[in-house]
Amino acid sequence: MNFLDSPLSKPAPYVVAPIEHRFDPYEDNGGTSVAIAGEDFCVVASDTRQSNGYMINSRYAPKAYKMSSTAVLSCNGFHADGVTLKKVLEQRMKMYKYSHDKDMSVTALAQMLSNTLYQRRFFPYYAFCLLGGVDADGKGAVYCYDSVGSFERENYRTSGSASALIQPFLDNQVGRKNQQNASTAPLTLEAVLRITKDAFTSATERDIHTGDNLQIFVITRDGVEEQNFPLKKD
Amino acid sequence: MNHFPSQWGKPRQENVDEYNTVPLYNNMPQSHAAAGPMTRTQQPVVTGTSVIALKYKDGIMMAADNLASYGSLARFRDIERLHPVGEHTIIGASGDISDYQYIQHMLQNVMIDQHCEDDGHTLGTPHIYEYLFRVMYNRRSKFNPLWNALVVGGVHKGERFLGYVDLKGTTYQNSTIATGFGGHLAQPILRKAVEGREDTLTEEEAIKIIDDCMRVLFYRDARSINKLQRAKITAEGFEITEPYSVETEWSFAESIRGYGA
Amino acid sequence: MNSLVQKYSKSSTAHDDDVLGVHGKWDASLDLAFPTFDIPGAQNPLSFLRNVTDEASSDYKIKIQHGTTTLAFKFQGGIIVAVDSRATMGNYIGSQTVKKVIEINPYLLGTMAGGAADCSYWERELGRRCRLYELTNKERISVAAASKLLANLVLPYKGMGLSMGTMVTGWDKSGPNLYYVDSDGSRIKGDLFSVGSGSTFAYGVLDSGYRNDLTVEEALELGKRSIFHAAHRDAMSGGSVNLYHIHEEGWTYHGNHDVAALFWEYQDLKAEERAAAVGKQ
Repeated sequence: MNFLDSPLSKPAPYVVAPIEHRFDPYEDNGGTSVAIAGEDFCVVASDTRQSNGYMINSRYAPKAYKMSSTAVLSCNGFHADGVTLKKVLEQRMKMYKYSHDKDMSVTALAQMLSNTLYQRRFFPYYAFCLLGGVDADGKGAVYCYDSVGSFERENYRTSGSASALIQPFLDNQVGRKNQQNASTAPLTLEAVLRITKDAFTSATERDIHTGDNLQIFVITRDGVEEQNFPLKKD
Repeated sequence: MNHFPSQWGKPRQENVDEYNTVPLYNNMPQSHAAAGPMTRTQQPVVTGTSVIALKYKDGIMMAADNLASYGSLARFRDIERLHPVGEHTIIGASGDISDYQYIQHMLQNVMIDQHCEDDGHTLGTPHIYEYLFRVMYNRRSKFNPLWNALVVGGVHKGERFLGYVDLKGTTYQNSTIATGFGGHLAQPILRKAVEGREDTLTEEEAIKIIDDCMRVLFYRDARSINKLQRAKITAEGFEITEPYSVETEWSFAESIRGYGA
Repeated sequence: MNSLVQKYSKSSTAHDDDVLGVHGKWDASLDLAFPTFDIPGAQNPLSFLRNVTDEASSDYKIKIQHGTTTLAFKFQGGIIVAVDSRATMGNYIGSQTVKKVIEINPYLLGTMAGGAADCSYWERELGRRCRLYELTNKERISVAAASKLLANLVLPYKGMGLSMGTMVTGWDKSGPNLYYVDSDGSRIKGDLFSVGSGSTFAYGVLDSGYRNDLTVEEALELGKRSIFHAAHRDAMSGGSVNLYHIHEEGWTYHGNHDVAALFWEYQDLKAEERAAAVGKQ
């Protein structure tokens, strides 16, 4: 087929009747997420504060979602975009299940999330996603995304309003960057939970958009377990 | 492409990007170009101010005044901004009144469709909330928002439900909600009075809190009037009061220069 | 009669275009088979997109990861591809471990400069199309055809905000081939390219050390050193160097080299050379 005839080469039809825009469709609802992969587990943690500018909308508006028995997704940025993205993914995961008669692996979900984000390349979701889970080999996996679907598998990552505060801390404590004679032994679940809580309690002190409660998902081969941990509410 | 390294990999700007031939998009035939761009709701016109709501022992209590302003003009003084949907849900609307009336129509249609299905199901508060969320979000995604901040309150299967939806599709649930100016003035009062006491507040206490908040709003919100309605939703159903006024105290004004003395 | 029935057969609230029009297709596989993209319904979608993605804009919200120094050159032993691994989002270093060489298939490599998502998405799509070409024609696609495929893929979106500066390289029937393809539609065949904000620094080292008769060892070292110096002097480049060599049997990966470690390695080398020079006198 001639490529120029394909729908790819034609922008959507309604550009013909353009709409004046002064309306800003985005809002920053703040919040921070951390995801750390271990040998055979993964931890995804998000604070539950939802804010808009200097106003706190809610102290408990979770932005991390259990997607399957081996994957948790957290979306920072615009809450409505995050919820919508989650809904679109859930629908697409169902279609996958119906077509292939198996649940989606985190690896497959990771690529699908990237494609779903890129589908909105020209009208991006204002959502910075972290996807944590356990892959087909039982190993912990963390995928991190930019808003248009560039993604990478990593061992640890934070995103959201306090990401610039927490990422260097994780680089040092989880990645053991710039440490001399540091142990290279993999972190235990206890250590990861401790680091996660430390990261959030400290970020809460310095970032006004982070706080209230910490929702922690621990993902293992056996499923997803949820914990809650209070943060400062000021 | 702009080969100046510092511009590399950044979104291009036409005024500095001399190599940029006419963007494809601008090259598209625009049959309606002569008519100018299509305009949509860019700003609210006739508006309602704050809606406040809280959870108490028996259910949800919500209040809003009866004013629809046209800019700074107090244009319509008998507008009802608390709207029942079904038996156990009340929607409170602030923002553009015409968009709110459109939403009323839409919800009416949904409820009629549901009634015609005759399958024994009716839409509960969470369902109406979710529906409104999708409608508001999809309209913002088309750059044609319904310029409202809505409060959805009700009781569903014995559970109290109080949620917020606005023109961008932002949603949250809380034990206290205040839209617009109320977010600044009433929300702190509500939180202090309600948080942690949701299960013990009696109806009388809830009425007192609501009236206190509405009084403060009337004192300080220039787009409000002292004529308001209050709704309560309990497991038994909803009740919306007739318009009433809160008691105000102006005697202090006599001793202040510029207030009347 | 039918039209009358039809008119009332649908719920008054069902809008068929409501959700599907805005969020792609419910089934991801359909979207992949024939990708389409949502365009914002603003009066000027371009200025809208530019407004929210440009670092200089006051509405800058949508931070997009950008990649920076990449290079590739032909020599007698094939092609060397070397890249850094830093992705920046404004002033923030988004990642130090980006894979900027995209392995399209065992014979084709693409590089990433510009928008990270643009490069990885379209080069993945290119990989799919190259595979389809193989299945249809029972032979591997030439580098020329593959690079033209990529250029034609992104051309329809010219001026809509894609930013992609890539080199498509590989070995086909005609031998080693190297093309530069970008999101404005340029497609240039050449022997030596460097792309990205650190490219000027890389060119400096590369041009001074480049000969066609380099051995593979020397060529790998030259590529590595060029990226190292770009990473050292360009703030938007850094992390580590990824090295690839393309030869008749496809590509071979020659490791990931941390820039911090390379710095001391090169310092030591310099010291040795100086000591040797002093010894000679």
